[in-house]
Amino acid sequence: MTDAADLERRYSRLLAWYPAAFRREHEAEMLGVLMDIARDGQQRVGLADATNLVKAALTMRLRIPASAPHTVIAAIRLMYTGAAVSLACWISTVASEPSVRAAMVRAAAARWPLMLVHITAVEAALPLIVVGWLWLAWANGRGHHGARIALVSYFSLVTLILPWMLSIGAAVYAPADLISLAVLWLVMLSAIVLIFNKRSEPYYRPA
Amino acid sequence: MAQRAMQETTFLILTALADSSQHGYGIMTAVQEISHGRVRMRAGTLYAALDRLSDEGMVAVDREEIVGNRLRRYYRLTPAGTKQLAAEATRLHANAIAALSRLKLAEGMAT
Repeated sequence: MTDAADLERRYSRLLAWYPAAFRREHEAEMLGVLMDIARDGQQRVGLADATNLVKAALTMRLRIPASAPHTVIAAIRLMYTGAAVSLACWISTVASEPSVRAAMVRAAAARWPLMLVHITAVEAALPLIVVGWLWLAWANGRGHHGARIALVSYFSLVTLILPWMLSIGAAVYAPADLISLAVLWLVMLSAIVLIFNKRSEPYYRPA
Repeated sequence: MAQRAMQETTFLILTALADSSQHGYGIMTAVQEISHGRVRMRAGTLYAALDRLSDEGMVAVDREEIVGNRLRRYYRLTPAGTKQLAAEATRLHANAIAALSRLKLAEGMAT
């Protein structure tokens, strides 16, 4: 295989990160441009180019379509806020775990195993919650009717689980955790109000 | 409502298309020239911006050519894109004049 064919194959692999609709529209011309700017004999994709392509591909996947009504755009921004707050919660939970463990062992040794299960569950669930928020933002941005149902189901689940979580683990929550939970709950509620607004209605189509 | 300031990437792409239609590689070269080598736009950034600008009705495909078995697509400014670029250039020009005149005033006070 020639150097050029090798390089083109590597670029094609990176372009696979882009959404299918974007690839149908731009893949051939992008490959042309990438090969035009490649150096003679270049076989590998430079780190800066690879990073730029992957970053642009992720941006394309998360971009809010220009055709979305303002209410849907605002709701999607709230969902990204939800993802950011969940990520911040996860980082703070992981970072503060050693000190929380030490404090729990000293203060409530008898309840420690239950608390350990609780903290581990929170640490494992938060990355999934971040992915969930991003998926909700993506699916609502594309006007999938099922995405609205998914957000309502998620909100109902959190509303039902939250009092139980707080009752069994109240001792391990710092005020910042409680504020974050309250913010997430309000973010969800606001997003639901926006996506069920009458201005959002025409944007959604049945699955 | 006041118009939000345009991102520099958008401004440079629209400027590159202001006098004639260009294909992707041509836009990248023009952006480097316009910014005096300061901005080197990569393909990922360019095509993400072109896709967004097409969605927003600021640029459109002018024509397509096949050169050496490769697709070459030319983009042009739409009337909406021309209007937005003119408004942004006027805004930046007014800001630059205000900054320069205040700097001259400050220099005058310092001497």
